[in-house]
Amino acid sequence: MAEAFLPDDARRAAEVIRRADIVIGIPSYNNGRTIGHVVRAAYAGLAKYFPQLTGVVINSDGGSTDNTQEAVLSARVEDMHLMLFPTPIPTSHRLSFPYHGVPGKGSAFRLIFQMAKRLDAKACAVVDSDLRSITPEWIDLLIRPILFAGHDFVTPYYQRHKYDGTITNSIVYPLTRMLYGVGVRQPIGGEFGVSARLISRYLEREDWETDVARFGIDIWMTTIAIAEGFRVCQSFLGAKLHDAKDPGSDLAAMLHQVVGSVFMLMQEYSPIWQSRTGSTPAELFGFRFDVGLDPVQVNVQRMVDAFKRGCHELGEIWALALEKDTLAAVRRLGGCTPESAELFHLDDELWARVVLDFACAYKRHPLLRGMILRSLTPLYLGRVASFVGETETLVAAEVEEKIEQLCLVFENLKPHLTAQWNEDSDQVRGSQPPQDVEQPELHEENLEV
Amino acid sequence: MIEILRNVLEAALERLRYHVTTYLPSLLAALTLVLAAYLTAVLARWVIYRIFKGLAIDKFLRQSGIAFMVDSSGRLRATRLVAETVYWCILLSGVLVGVNVFGTDLTTQFIQSFIFLLPKLVVAGLILLAGAWLGQYLGRSMLVWAVNEGFPSPRRLAALVRILIMFVAVVVAADQLNFARSVFLAAFIILVGGAVLAASLAIGLGRGGVQRFFEEKREQTGESGERSLWTHL
Repeated sequence: MAEAFLPDDARRAAEVIRRADIVIGIPSYNNGRTIGHVVRAAYAGLAKYFPQLTGVVINSDGGSTDNTQEAVLSARVEDMHLMLFPTPIPTSHRLSFPYHGVPGKGSAFRLIFQMAKRLDAKACAVVDSDLRSITPEWIDLLIRPILFAGHDFVTPYYQRHKYDGTITNSIVYPLTRMLYGVGVRQPIGGEFGVSARLISRYLEREDWETDVARFGIDIWMTTIAIAEGFRVCQSFLGAKLHDAKDPGSDLAAMLHQVVGSVFMLMQEYSPIWQSRTGSTPAELFGFRFDVGLDPVQVNVQRMVDAFKRGCHELGEIWALALEKDTLAAVRRLGGCTPESAELFHLDDELWARVVLDFACAYKRHPLLRGMILRSLTPLYLGRVASFVGETETLVAAEVEEKIEQLCLVFENLKPHLTAQWNEDSDQVRGSQPPQDVEQPELHEENLEV
Repeated sequence: MIEILRNVLEAALERLRYHVTTYLPSLLAALTLVLAAYLTAVLARWVIYRIFKGLAIDKFLRQSGIAFMVDSSGRLRATRLVAETVYWCILLSGVLVGVNVFGTDLTTQFIQSFIFLLPKLVVAGLILLAGAWLGQYLGRSMLVWAVNEGFPSPRRLAALVRILIMFVAVVVAADQLNFARSVFLAAFIILVGGAVLAASLAIGLGRGGVQRFFEEKREQTGESGERSLWTHL
């Protein structure tokens, strides 16, 4: 299975190199502007922190039409004195291949993992090719916990702008933490360290051609690692500054792929998450420090308008997904007209209920999944608008506290989710959940605008 | 004169007696059969309501969205569907057997036509059902897409998709039944031709408006700094 999709040139290169201790993977698509810096950082990281080990830098490209591959192959760390090396050190191998299959980051990762397995690598790190803030230390922070602390999966821990990573903050982090009981702050961060054992597990799986092949890959990797009991930790990498991800992709498609992957895995790991309660944060490595961040521009009014438009137009589809009470609360909110968009408020509990209802609807309506997931977009925009309004005057630590509160709301609603998930197939939408399950109430005052 | 009148009367009574003795037993037999079929149908429905669960069918109806298509609350259940189908099948069979008792050319021809048409009716019904399902599915997909893209009048777009799909289903079903084939085909060609012409005119005459819409959209999400919020996961 692992060999099936390995291109001939990759196979030949693996036969020449034979083995490597560390593989650094860089997926790319038209990243000629930034990838040179990422390759240099990877090189320098290997040379500086793991000089005794052999390393390979692999670029898995999605058919770039710019100079991405040339930039990879020509990137050099010219001056070793910059890293205070007394003597020149041998350079690591550098490879660049186009991957085959479904276009997307997941397919790129698949090729990298296949090569890592072929080369019998002890650890593999993957980093985005559009990073502007990557330093050689990132390689150390992603690889060292695997080689020297026995971890299988290292996730990044970034300092991000309060409005950056909103899908992470409002859906993926709280949901993953609530489900699997492990607090991984950036489950879809994009940079990961992976052990050989976990790579083998990934390659065994048959779902590479699903949404996992695109934006779903990050949460897929994180969820498998957490749910299947691999040792997971976090490394503080500082700030994440990068170019816009894929200018051609739209928000609905991204939400569909990321959230769809979370919901798909919820079905597979249903017995596991139902048996877990509470949560504990994953171990955090690295020295934490404050950094300057790129500003993020937001247009709250436009997001509120999108939410209201959804309320007005998508009622029949939301009725398939949302519980009666949740739908009524959302509709009330959509009918309100605040004096200014900043006063719009979609509270934590209502938002958590929306997400959990959508998760159950995803399970209940297999033929309507795409449509249901795409209809989440206006609700998500409403939530982001509300979050922006609430946190406008808050500093990073206070914003983090707000996100922590949201996570706790999700955790409190877990019994409700479990009951709804296991609801007898005789029951229909809008029916009451079993009597023995405590039902947290929706607070009317929280719905006011 | 009285003799003639009596003869006519006797002939009429004789004909009446003949018809009564010929058809009354058949009629009574037919009514008995229909009554028996009705009672059997009611009994079968009652039994099915009590013993048949059909959880797998329920699941299919719910997951495919057919349950929500037939009944917006999604309360359509396999038990009801099967019980009603069995009820009507038994009742219909009883009526056909009852009619067959008369044994006339007319009834035989009627039954033959019906039996010949039945499979086509079933297929046409399935085509209409599939059309309704597909129309609803694609209409909803269009609605979600149009709302997310900020298109004007998303409901109208969705309704248009539904009507088009349903109309195609009706044309195919009519073709299957050999019913007003040319009329439906002509209507279909006129509709498609009209739609293409309308789209061409809209693109030609309203090009500026469409261009403006996309430019505004690009300005809002693509080129501005706000893009970062949409793309940073």
